[in-house]
Amino acid sequence: MNYSMIKILMFKDWYLQRWSVAASLLGGVVALGIVCTGGNAAFFMGLLLLITCLIAVGAQLAVATMVNERKEQTLAFVMSLPISYREYTVAKLLGTLLVFMVPWLVLVLGSLALFAVPHGVPHGLLPFAIIMSTEILVSTCLVVCTALVTESQGWTVAAIMVGNIAINVIGYFVAHVAGIAKGMGGSTVSWSSAASTVLLSEFALIALFLILTFFFQSRKIDFL
Amino acid sequence: MNDIAVQFEGVSKKYAHFALDNIDLELPAGSIMGFIGANGAGKSTTIRILMGLVRQDSGSVNVLGHPMPAQQAAAKLDIGFVSEDMRLYGTATVAWHMEFIRSIYPRWDQPYAEKLLQRFDLKAQQKVKGLSHGQRVKAALLLALARRPRLLVLDEPTTGLDPVARHEVLGELMAVLADEERTILFSSHNTKDVEQISDVITFIDRGKIIDSDDKEIFLDRWRRMRLVLPQDTALPSLPGVIDVGGSTRLPVLTVSRFEPAMVSLCQDMGVTVNAVDPMTLEEIFVANVQCRRETQAV
Repeated sequence: MNYSMIKILMFKDWYLQRWSVAASLLGGVVALGIVCTGGNAAFFMGLLLLITCLIAVGAQLAVATMVNERKEQTLAFVMSLPISYREYTVAKLLGTLLVFMVPWLVLVLGSLALFAVPHGVPHGLLPFAIIMSTEILVSTCLVVCTALVTESQGWTVAAIMVGNIAINVIGYFVAHVAGIAKGMGGSTVSWSSAASTVLLSEFALIALFLILTFFFQSRKIDFL
Repeated sequence: MNDIAVQFEGVSKKYAHFALDNIDLELPAGSIMGFIGANGAGKSTTIRILMGLVRQDSGSVNVLGHPMPAQQAAAKLDIGFVSEDMRLYGTATVAWHMEFIRSIYPRWDQPYAEKLLQRFDLKAQQKVKGLSHGQRVKAALLLALARRPRLLVLDEPTTGLDPVARHEVLGELMAVLADEERTILFSSHNTKDVEQISDVITFIDRGKIIDSDDKEIFLDRWRRMRLVLPQDTALPSLPGVIDVGGSTRLPVLTVSRFEPAMVSLCQDMGVTVNAVDPMTLEEIFVANVQCRRETQAV
């Protein structure tokens, strides 16, 4: 494995997508600011904007770094470089997910910081917030993996839709799981085994997406 | 050092509506091969297999001593590739691309890159999306040449260029030819471009290599013979006649294996040889393709 080439390709994507990341960070900071103004309406509006910013930047990264690579014919340029398709797969997966994790981490940490604000978000919501933040990561993984395997705009848009629906469905489901729902309105953090199970399932799903991506990529015989 | 830069042995690749059929190809190190074929003949597929970007169904491919596609990363370290359908990143500048390639290729020649920048009239700080098609091709060529590759693979690089840009691109390629160590594979359907720079010519049609030889031998052995037949005299049987045109009395023969002795043979039979015309590479290519297609149809 040529790690030096993988690193160069990852930095290339970071450079080319830096403005998308900056825009999502700006949007996210504005969303957190809205939450900070207080009140239920501001809380839900800010939360909605924050989730939208994260979903949007994930989708943008997948489309720009993978689908457009084929559509705009830059794939021939990249694949003419001293790199194998396996290394290309690693560079794209790692690169896109790490670039996404910059705004994701900043905004998730920013959201969690709101729990520290006196009279801010009820502490009982913390498990739910962590599960939903991870769900956004799962959804982005699905979109990125689909984009890489299919290199198709249609399939990627379908994955974005599935990911968005999943965030809503999982949100509803988690909020109604007895072990999690019970402590959500409380002022203290109550981490249940149900919360651990859901969180572990999310990480297992991410691992499954990555394994399936490498499996499908290894079966490809035409790379251009 | 391996004397054969590129070697295809029995390479086949099948698609739903096209098949590359049993390709055998040898490109000696230091030579310049013009790879000529009509659109859809299989040039790009062959080149993609050469680059390891498409895996052949059968047969073996060896590039600069590396089996492909297994060792494509190692092989591509010594290859400069420019393709008509290759694009650079629109939002990045030419300078960024130069720096990007420089970080990958240890043999990157910065003074040469800057010389090419001037010669091609490119501005380093200009974004690629603001470049014309000709400028984009020249930028891609700069990136390929300045990495000082042992093998330069050019897939229809002059397609869609205006005459001035084509002249500049071909001019630079001619300058590159001074380096006798470098091997070049130049694919095009424009025979004039290929004729200018190549010393070996290979014709491909409908997924098959139909002819391959030194350019000078090609040009020497293909002729158009304009004859005058006396009445009641049959057309003499000559070797390598692939097409008979003109009229019954004034036939025009297209000959693929011309020898001066053929003229005296005709004269001995009472046939007047009005002219023996050399053929351009384009005429040779078209005659060759038509002959193969007619043979296949029969």
